[in-house]
Amino acid sequence: MVAKYVMLADTTRCINCKACEVACRAEWDTPMGFTRDWVKEVEYVNAKGLPEVQLFPGRCQHCDDPPCVEACPSGASWKREDGIVLVDHETCSGCELCVPACPYEARWLNPVTNTISKCTFCQPRIDKGLEPACVQTCVGHALIFGDANDPNSVVSQLLKEKEWQRLVTDEVNIGPNHYYFTDGKAIPQEVMPKRNEHYLAGTVIEKVLNPVAKLGLGGMVAVFALAGVKKLVDRRKQVGIQEGNHEQH
Amino acid sequence: MSNTKQGASTKIKIRTKDVIAIHWFNAFFWLVLVISGFGIISGDFVRLVPTAWSSFMQNLVGGNANLALLHGIGGMVWAAVIAIYALLNARRVVLPFLKNVLVLTPMAALRDMWSMTVTLAHLFGLMKNTPVPPQGRYNGAQRLLGTMIIGCSLLIAMSGMYLFWGPKLLSFASNPLYGELFRWALVAHQAAVVLVLIGLVAHIYFAVVEERESLETMKSGYAEIAFIQHHNPLWYEELKRDGKV
Repeated sequence: MVAKYVMLADTTRCINCKACEVACRAEWDTPMGFTRDWVKEVEYVNAKGLPEVQLFPGRCQHCDDPPCVEACPSGASWKREDGIVLVDHETCSGCELCVPACPYEARWLNPVTNTISKCTFCQPRIDKGLEPACVQTCVGHALIFGDANDPNSVVSQLLKEKEWQRLVTDEVNIGPNHYYFTDGKAIPQEVMPKRNEHYLAGTVIEKVLNPVAKLGLGGMVAVFALAGVKKLVDRRKQVGIQEGNHEQH
Repeated sequence: MSNTKQGASTKIKIRTKDVIAIHWFNAFFWLVLVISGFGIISGDFVRLVPTAWSSFMQNLVGGNANLALLHGIGGMVWAAVIAIYALLNARRVVLPFLKNVLVLTPMAALRDMWSMTVTLAHLFGLMKNTPVPPQGRYNGAQRLLGTMIIGCSLLIAMSGMYLFWGPKLLSFASNPLYGELFRWALVAHQAAVVLVLIGLVAHIYFAVVEERESLETMKSGYAEIAFIQHHNPLWYEELKRDGKV
C-alpha cells in the first residue's frame, strides 16, 4: 500500500522553543525573515477568567485536495502519491497565483530562488528514511511524523489512542494531513484556515476567460457544423432534383 | 509581365509564393503553439482543456519545463520570422495588405459587421432577400477577423515574451509589480489565443467547405476571374481598371 504521510502536533507538549523553526531554516537555508514552519501563539482568557496560551506548530498541511495545486498555471505545484505537496522549482515561474489560494498561508515567494517555497515534510530526508528536520529536533516530542497507512506506525497508533483535530471549518475543509491534539480544548479561531482567495487575474481566467472560451469555441464549432450539415442537405436535394429532371428528359 | 496563368486565361495570379509560404508557416506554428500551449496550463482553476491533454503533452517531451521551453522557443521563432518578413516586405506586401484588411473606424466596423451578419445568415437560408454588400478584395468578416488576428498576434507575441523571459530576467520578489504583470500577461496571452481560435473556426469552415476556391488560391496563388467577379465585385472593378483582367 502507498504511504500516506501525516504530521501530528501535540499542542500540550509544545513549549514554543522554536527549535523546529531553526532546524527547518538550517535544513532549507531559508532567507532572513522567512520560514517554512512556525509556532502560532494564541492568548485568551479561559472559562475561569485566567489568562491562557495555546501553541500551534504550523506548516503546509499537505491537503488531500490542495487549492494551491489547482491554482498553479504551470503544474509546478503538484501532489505526490504519498500525499506530499511539492513545488518543482525548474517549472515554477514565481507568479504567486498559488500563494493566496492556500488557506493556511504556508507559501511564499523566495527572494533568493524567485520560486515558491513551502514545507515539503523534508521530502529528501523522508525518502532516505529519515524524519523531517523539525520532528527530529523537537525537544518536547510535540511533533510526530509517519505513515498513516501503516497500522504499526506510531502515528497510526496515536491517531487511534487520542482525540485529534484538524484545522478545518464548514467553509474550508480540504483534507489537511496535519493533526492537532489539544486535550479537548477548542481550536481558537486565530489558527483556523482563511477562506482561500485568488488574485484578480486568476479569478478572471477561472470565472470569465475559460467559460467564455468554452462557450465561444463550442458555439462556433456547433454553428458551423450545422451550416455544414445544411449545405450537405441542400446539395443532396439539388442533386435529387437534377436527377429527377434528367429522368423526365 | 502578364498576371494571368499561361494557357489558362480564366485565372489570375493574386498571391506570390512568399505570401503563400508565410501563410502556411503561420498556420503551422499556430497549430504547434496552440497544442503545446494548452498542454502547459495545468492547474484546475486556470486550465482550459482536459487534464489528460496536459499530462500527455508534458509526458511526451519529458516534463512541463521542457514543454514550456519548446513552446517559448517556438513562439519566438514564429514572431521573429513574421517580424523579419514584414520588415523586408513592408511596401510590397504588408502595407497593401494592412490597407485592405484593417478596420479602423467604428463606421467601417459596423459596415463589416452588417456584411458578416448577412453572409452568416445566408448560410442558414436566412435573410435571403438581403444581398451581401459588394465586397472588395476582402469581405467584411475577413477584414474583422484580419484586424483581430493582427491585434491579437501582437498581444500574444508581447505577452509571450514577458511570460518566457520575465521569470528568467527579473526578480519577482523585489517588486510585486513584476508578478502582477506576469499574471495579467497570462490572462492577455490566453484571451488573445482564444479570440483568434474562435475566429479561425469560421476561417477554416469557409476555406474548406463554402469557398474551396479560396483554399486553392492559398495553395497555387491563382484565382478564377469568374470567382472574383462573383464574390468580390469591387475588387474585380479595381483589377479591370488596372488592366489586370
